[in-house]
Amino acid sequence: MADILVSNIEIVPGRRVIRHLGLVQGSTVRSKHAGKDILAGLKNIVGGELKAYTELMQEAREEATDRMIQQAASIGANGVLNVRYATTSVTMGAAEILAYGTAVVLE
Amino acid sequence: MEILYFALDYFELVLFLVLLSIGFFVGRILEQKHFKSIRQRERESKNILVFAARFPPNLAQPQDCTLVCGQVVISSDYFKQFVAGLRSLVGGRFRGYESLFDRARREAVLRMKDEARNKGYKMIVNVRFETTSLTGGRQGALPSFEVVAYGTAVRPR
Amino acid sequence: MEFENRTPDEHVNYSTEHPLKEFAWLLGGLMVALVALSFLVGAFAGEVASWLPYRYEAAVAEQVDMQLKGNAPDAPNEPAAPGEPTPAAIRKALDRIAQPLAAHMRLPEGMQIKVHYNNSEMVNAFATLGGNIVIMRGLIEAVPDENTLAMVIAHEIAHAAERHPVKHLGRAVGIGIVLSVVSAEAARTAAATATNLAATGTLLTFSRQQEREADTIGLDALVKQYGHAGGATALFPLLEASHPPEHRARLTILSTHPHAADRVTELNTLVAARGWQADGMRIPLSPTLAALQQRARKR
Repeated sequence: MADILVSNIEIVPGRRVIRHLGLVQGSTVRSKHAGKDILAGLKNIVGGELKAYTELMQEAREEATDRMIQQAASIGANGVLNVRYATTSVTMGAAEILAYGTAVVLE
Repeated sequence: MEILYFALDYFELVLFLVLLSIGFFVGRILEQKHFKSIRQRERESKNILVFAARFPPNLAQPQDCTLVCGQVVISSDYFKQFVAGLRSLVGGRFRGYESLFDRARREAVLRMKDEARNKGYKMIVNVRFETTSLTGGRQGALPSFEVVAYGTAVRPR
Repeated sequence: MEFENRTPDEHVNYSTEHPLKEFAWLLGGLMVALVALSFLVGAFAGEVASWLPYRYEAAVAEQVDMQLKGNAPDAPNEPAAPGEPTPAAIRKALDRIAQPLAAHMRLPEGMQIKVHYNNSEMVNAFATLGGNIVIMRGLIEAVPDENTLAMVIAHEIAHAAERHPVKHLGRAVGIGIVLSVVSAEAARTAAATATNLAATGTLLTFSRQQEREADTIGLDALVKQYGHAGGATALFPLLEASHPPEHRARLTILSTHPHAADRVTELNTLVAARGWQADGMRIPLSPTLAALQQRARKR
């Protein structure tokens, strides 16, 4: 998995794309447990960063990216180019994160 | 004693005023502290270059590429929320939220730069931002937003 | 090709203006807008309410009747102190003054003036929904003769006849609706206050214009009934002379009816303009009411 190149540009400088393998995507829906929700509610009084949620989103994004890479690996790609992220809030404290890109075989 | 009775009679109002002033004073101090820290870290990370251009320079040269990402979830304070509520009646600029998003976006860029630096890169191209409300449309919930900055870190091989 | 990062001006994207400045402007502006809107809607609702047929007003009056019930026919008919006239007897004596005065006025269709007696120290009388007039013990004790009492009663009947209480209620409801946009709590308070003051009358303040109307119509009825305007202005100087300023708080009739001196002048001008006889034979209070006064003097 570590040898799969992930990038959000469409080319890899100095390397040629031999084969385009189509769209791969990874997504996850995550929520923190209620205790942290309450803490976040308290934090809402003074504003600023909600660390618990930042962590939640970060884990979710990593997981979505990993899943996308797994998909790419499963079809024999060694790179995912032009990667995009999309986030949608499901309910308070839960969100879906989607990562998608083009799986390619690089020279 | 009379003040105590007043506080009990108007519990909701008193709670509201207390939250409003905590939100204003603490929120303001935190915001100023955050801006100070952002400015300092921006100076420190000046050697990592960030571009929105789609391609790195010198395409012919073989380069290492990797995706880097910085994110932050922020929320408005009680005071800003209240002012925004008033503001939405008449329309116009949500000044409080403008500074909030500015902080969040710059913080996200800084985190993205940190990741690039940790991986040994000095340039990020094709930087994209994404902003999402996490409030989930629930009425009465204080708003929180996620800001993500991501791009491709590149270095000559 | 050169690649470098320069630092752009960060204050472009957010304001450095103090947030309290915006807060004050918004809050102040909305308050002003709210007050203006309440005023307009209140005035409009008041006018609409006065078009309400009397029988609906009477139905509302039934609902807010609790305070009046204390003196209604089915209330215990015990004198407040031994040797005093019973509430029912006092009510009857007041009714005997009120009904002829009411007969001189144009009442809304179906309205009947109902006089109530309230065993209260306050020197006050008020008109409320449904043609109900409440006279307080303190007022009866303060008047020198029937003419003076008749003027106050005529004034209150005129309020009822001109439907001022229902206009006032309409205004309160209108303001309540405006407030409900901002806060459900504020609207509830406004609604509760409106019903409460309709029942007690103590907070039922009419506009200066309405007071002037009631004075004019009341005076007209007084002259028609007694043949002269004697007693019309007697209450005001009496109240101001007999009560030092620090006791004025008890004189609700002065606090809810502002500009006593202006009103005396206006009444006198009106009497002169219409060519009415300014004074004449004053009728003493009926034995029942006189008995009530004597008990007060003994205390």
